[in-house]
Amino acid sequence: MFKFFAGFRKELLLLLRDKAGLIILFIMPMVLIIIMSLLQEVGYSSITRESRMKVLFLDNDKDSLGLRIGKGLRNSNFFEVIDSLNGNRVTEKSIREAVKQGDYLIGIVIPKGITKSIRANVSLMVAQTLSGFGMFNPLLINNIPMKNADTVTVFFDPTIKKSFQTAILSNIKEFNYKIETEMVFQTFNQEMSRIFPNYLPPEHNFKESVYFKEVFPTFKKTEEIPNTAQHNVPSWAVFAMFFIIIPFTNSMMTERQEGSLFRIQSLPVSFMKLLFSKVSVYLVVCILQTILMILTGIYLLPLFNAVPLVLGNHLFALSVVTIVISLAALGYGLLVGTIATTNQQAAAFGAVSIIIMAALGGLFVPMYLMSDKMQLVAGFSPLNWALTGYYTIFIRSGGLMEILPQIFKLSLFFIVSVVITFAFRTIKNPLNK
Amino acid sequence: MSDQPIIKIRDLSKTYKGNDEPAIKSISLDIFCNEIFGLLGPNGAGKTTAISILCGLFPPTQGKVTIDGWDIHSDLDKIKHIIGVVPQDLALYPTLSALENLTFFGNMYGLRGTLLRDRIHDCLKVFGLEKVAKNQITTYSGGMKRRVNLIAGLLHKPKVLFLDEPTVGIDVQSRIVILDYLNEINKLGTTIIYTSHYMEEAENLCSRVAIVDRGNIISLGNPKDLLGDHTEFKNLENIFLHLTGKDLRD
Repeated sequence: MFKFFAGFRKELLLLLRDKAGLIILFIMPMVLIIIMSLLQEVGYSSITRESRMKVLFLDNDKDSLGLRIGKGLRNSNFFEVIDSLNGNRVTEKSIREAVKQGDYLIGIVIPKGITKSIRANVSLMVAQTLSGFGMFNPLLINNIPMKNADTVTVFFDPTIKKSFQTAILSNIKEFNYKIETEMVFQTFNQEMSRIFPNYLPPEHNFKESVYFKEVFPTFKKTEEIPNTAQHNVPSWAVFAMFFIIIPFTNSMMTERQEGSLFRIQSLPVSFMKLLFSKVSVYLVVCILQTILMILTGIYLLPLFNAVPLVLGNHLFALSVVTIVISLAALGYGLLVGTIATTNQQAAAFGAVSIIIMAALGGLFVPMYLMSDKMQLVAGFSPLNWALTGYYTIFIRSGGLMEILPQIFKLSLFFIVSVVITFAFRTIKNPLNK
Repeated sequence: MSDQPIIKIRDLSKTYKGNDEPAIKSISLDIFCNEIFGLLGPNGAGKTTAISILCGLFPPTQGKVTIDGWDIHSDLDKIKHIIGVVPQDLALYPTLSALENLTFFGNMYGLRGTLLRDRIHDCLKVFGLEKVAKNQITTYSGGMKRRVNLIAGLLHKPKVLFLDEPTVGIDVQSRIVILDYLNEINKLGTTIIYTSHYMEEAENLCSRVAIVDRGNIISLGNPKDLLGDHTEFKNLENIFLHLTGKDLRD
């Protein structure tokens, strides 16, 4: 153990003397978290109902449908309804222009008389139905033509995602169906009251019989909506932890290229023991890096008007998963640093492979946006296991038991990396293991 | 010099992967206790390969080597405790001070506490580095770096010291200090195996030399005996050029 600690001390001194390296290790991840959180704040906030999207709205109808859509948009937490531009009431032309210029993402135009048309068509449909009961003359009623459907125009900025467009159109269609249903119900009642004077229509108007409740299931009894920081801090922490392989492999390669390895291999100490003293120093770095990133999430993000990270109650699970993720990252670094023959090779392969694993693992694009095949591939990325582990703690309020699968996979990845490293070294140099 | 060989090399060959030509071809040699043995040869002759195998850095393709009775294949851990290595490249950590470098390498040989501190202090004093002991190696001149490089290999007072061109690229003063010290520790019982391109240096320092070329030992003996065998040449350098030729080597 004495030699292990001597190696640990040497590695620590080397690291502390490398000021640029320390900045990369500690400051860059903090900056990354702040920038990415601020960039994604709007996107996530819209999901978590913390900010509103501006929608240009022109109601030429001034009747039920127009009023209902306007009211629905205003009451929703997603949209801020804008009906005038530069002090002038919006027109179809000004809405088209504003969306075309990219000043607004959505514009909605409700045509004049649309409610009237719906009402007329509903009355006709009801009359046609009741004519079957001899209440109206079928020959006369069935020959009256339905009014042509009016068009609600929705202008979309071309950058808006298709799924979002579909959601907006579905909402407008839903308002239309509701109004039509209510009108059918009211017209029936009116006609029934007219034909049967003793008929008493129900006191209540049309009421929805199905409600929808939004639930974000967690392992805790209380349900909380995850915020930007809870998404960002874990993903960028994982990214930074795995990116430690760049300075780590650089340290290994420098030793090899500067000639120290020649002497080290002639020393009466196991080479793997010295490598593990290096791993231990970088393990401490990884842990400190994560603590710093968590503190950034808790204390620095609010200074930039971003929501703070909520740590939760599972600090032990958080510590365990952080150590295991760090070991997995360093095990990978050990492997890359052993197999690579030059510093450039290790840096290029290390960086590119981490970016690929991060992309596959859902760090850049959420997994639910990936195709089924890509989601299957994502399941093989150690960065995905790490991210899932953190998400389970931060977002789903899971504890140690809930992250056991991720801990197992990451530990196995570390062990396999070390075994391959050892095997490679043994094959390459059977005298110095 | 004793009659007892401390290093026995038998039929030693090394062919690097991807190379058809062996770097060392079936060398057999005994190096005796308390000897200063010079391994001389042009670039690419196989000197560093031979030293690397003797230090256990990589295995030979074939052959057997024992050091102080220990086999390099089966007893390398024991051998590493009794040998010291001074590589041709500066095998030091540039951002650490001489004191930190030497403490680390001393610790690796199991030295610690007062014993290590005293040894480091004594060596730094001998090599005129005590005042700059706490300065980072990057601030040192080439000669100072070479001296620290040498100290790192002999702090644990090895029985056998391997030196791969220890005086390359340094001033005369540093060279004299290093060679004097090597003579001194040799008198105290350290066997030294030494490679160099400086023939005059080898002629003065070594009790025996082997001239190596293209992986073969082409001449072996006491420098004076070699000069006696080649009376037409006035020094070792002329014999060396005669034996190895004047063609440029890679």
